[in-house]
Amino acid sequence: MRASTRLLVVLLAPSLVLFALLTLYPLLRVLLLAFTDSDYGFEGADFVGLANFAELAEGRGFRRAAWNTVAFAVMATVGEVVLGLALALLLDRAFRGRRLVTLVLLAPYVLSTIVVGAIWRAWFHYDVGFLNTALRGVGLPGVPWLFDPVLALPSIALADLWQATPFCFLILYAGLRSIPPDLHEAARIDGAGTWARFRDITLPLLWPYILIAGLMRTLDSFKLFDKVYAMTGGGPGNATETLSMFVQRLAFRFFDIGMASAAALVMVVVAGGLAAIYARQLMRPPA
Amino acid sequence: MRILRRLCLVAPMLALAALPARAEERLVIAGRDAAFGDALSRMVEAYQARNPGLRIERLELPGGALYERIAVNARERTKALDVLMLDDIWAPEFMANGWLANLDTLGGVPGDFVGPADAVSRGANGQRLAAPMVGNVAMFAYRADLFRAAGLPAPTTFTAVAAAARTLRERDPGITPIAFRGVRGNPIVTGFMPVLGAFGGAVVDAQGRAALDSPAALAALEYFLSLKPYLPRGVETWNATEVREAMEQGRVAIALEFWPGWAGTLDDAARSRVVGQVTLVAPPGERSGPAPMLGAWLLGVAADSPNAARAADFIRFVVSAENQKRIALETGNPPTLAALYNDPELVQRFRWYPAQLAALQAAQPRPRITQWNRVEAILGEQLQIALVGQATPAEALREANRQIQRALAR
Repeated sequence: MRASTRLLVVLLAPSLVLFALLTLYPLLRVLLLAFTDSDYGFEGADFVGLANFAELAEGRGFRRAAWNTVAFAVMATVGEVVLGLALALLLDRAFRGRRLVTLVLLAPYVLSTIVVGAIWRAWFHYDVGFLNTALRGVGLPGVPWLFDPVLALPSIALADLWQATPFCFLILYAGLRSIPPDLHEAARIDGAGTWARFRDITLPLLWPYILIAGLMRTLDSFKLFDKVYAMTGGGPGNATETLSMFVQRLAFRFFDIGMASAAALVMVVVAGGLAAIYARQLMRPPA
Repeated sequence: MRILRRLCLVAPMLALAALPARAEERLVIAGRDAAFGDALSRMVEAYQARNPGLRIERLELPGGALYERIAVNARERTKALDVLMLDDIWAPEFMANGWLANLDTLGGVPGDFVGPADAVSRGANGQRLAAPMVGNVAMFAYRADLFRAAGLPAPTTFTAVAAAARTLRERDPGITPIAFRGVRGNPIVTGFMPVLGAFGGAVVDAQGRAALDSPAALAALEYFLSLKPYLPRGVETWNATEVREAMEQGRVAIALEFWPGWAGTLDDAARSRVVGQVTLVAPPGERSGPAPMLGAWLLGVAADSPNAARAADFIRFVVSAENQKRIALETGNPPTLAALYNDPELVQRFRWYPAQLAALQAAQPRPRITQWNRVEAILGEQLQIALVGQATPAEALREANRQIQRALAR
């Protein structure tokens, strides 16, 4: 082995050992348990082949949780990236009080998710919540935000939008600041309008940042647990049950570890697939 | 040589330092939060005052999180917990898996506990594996003043309850006639169980098979859902706090399910607007007699506890007559010793105690099966699906029955 390779191995070894212990080992364990009927670990577990996956596919609970998770991830990610972009474009211009606005905008992001859940649960309260009080104040009827099966998931997405948009804003704002002003200046001299400059300069140069923000928010939304736990507990019915909640309930309430591992494995595969799509887009050489 | 001399000097000091310090006696108690937690914390403080040399650690958790924590600890055999607070529905699983120490071999727990609460604390062979700390039983609460004003008799059947709700709504549209806990899972199931029992239905039959796909269960659920026009909007999100406050503030006329643990402040003028106006009785019957549901909380010693003798002593302390009375007076949590329901001081404070004792003595524990947690989650989800109109009562019961049968087969 060459000296440079040896040095590389030595430098990488601690990280690789930690990665193997904290990521590969649990993943391997979940992979193996997914094919067993286990109520905790490998002790007393029976090999059941693909039975857990078949039961998952057959059960309405898993399909509903998967649908809710995807619907939430799409609603939250699209909303947060679009709103984050709009805010970044707005705050990229100089105006009085910009710093204060930026500071206020970032406040929700520093709150813990459980606190955000509690705040929005109170705001969504049908009788005494802030939102319905405001609606009634202007003569509109109250909205059953959290107990209407159709509205409950979008309501949680709204709370997520409030908390996570600042994150997208930060990434996209950093991206905007990295665009050389000369490009816009030159385009303006050539007679390009605001929309043309946004479409032909800002958007293409910002695209990698949009992808990064989208990737991070998609993966985070895919793991949604705490906000649902704090706001609806998965109800009404199973209208807001997500895959994370489904897995947690199977694993730690029912101790059906085989099924929980199978469901978790499906989540890993889907999340990995999504990450791969984004990564491919990110690493594509510029045309 | 100098190094050797130094080593000779340092070695005895190192050896002394390495000797284990006198083991500090510890007691780790895992229990509930909220009202039950308040009672347990008061007992911890009192026991600590009596045993100043003892270091007590207290884990205070909501119901679901408590179950997860103590079940994982038991499975992992962590030896980290000594005293466990258990809902009576968890006891069969803990007892069947040998996760609780036999209290009979740890000095026993004396006391004349109310029958059903005592029964759920014992193992298959009658050995004492836990001691009942909170004698909760699902009661039925109604505003006697409103019933009197409307000329309504005390309801003894669920049909009469629905009729009373209609009358009360017509007389005063501003009051919500009926409330119960509609949150999915344990809350909505405990609200439904007395109705199911009164209509002659059951979740699991005597042979241990799922029994929800039955005409009796269907009639019970259809009745339960027929109350919807009289329920508060958003009942699907109502839990203990909402029902208790609505009753205390006089916004609700009937609570289908009212736990004595919530009743402690009903007659407290500082908190309640309905002092002396709420009557607590055993739930009504229908096709069969009343089926009040037991909701006892138990204390047990973890089988792998390194401080089992001390843990058993703490449990004896908590369930003693003196402390059960103190808990009742200070926190409103119902006792488990039968004699205390006739204690003049307690009866004066909690006027419904005689009715509560009758309900407690007739109380029906939920099915004693190790899979109850899962069964309850399945039923709780399907009940709420029916409540929000995503499935008909028949569809919800069929689906619950199918899933429960699978869970029982595991």
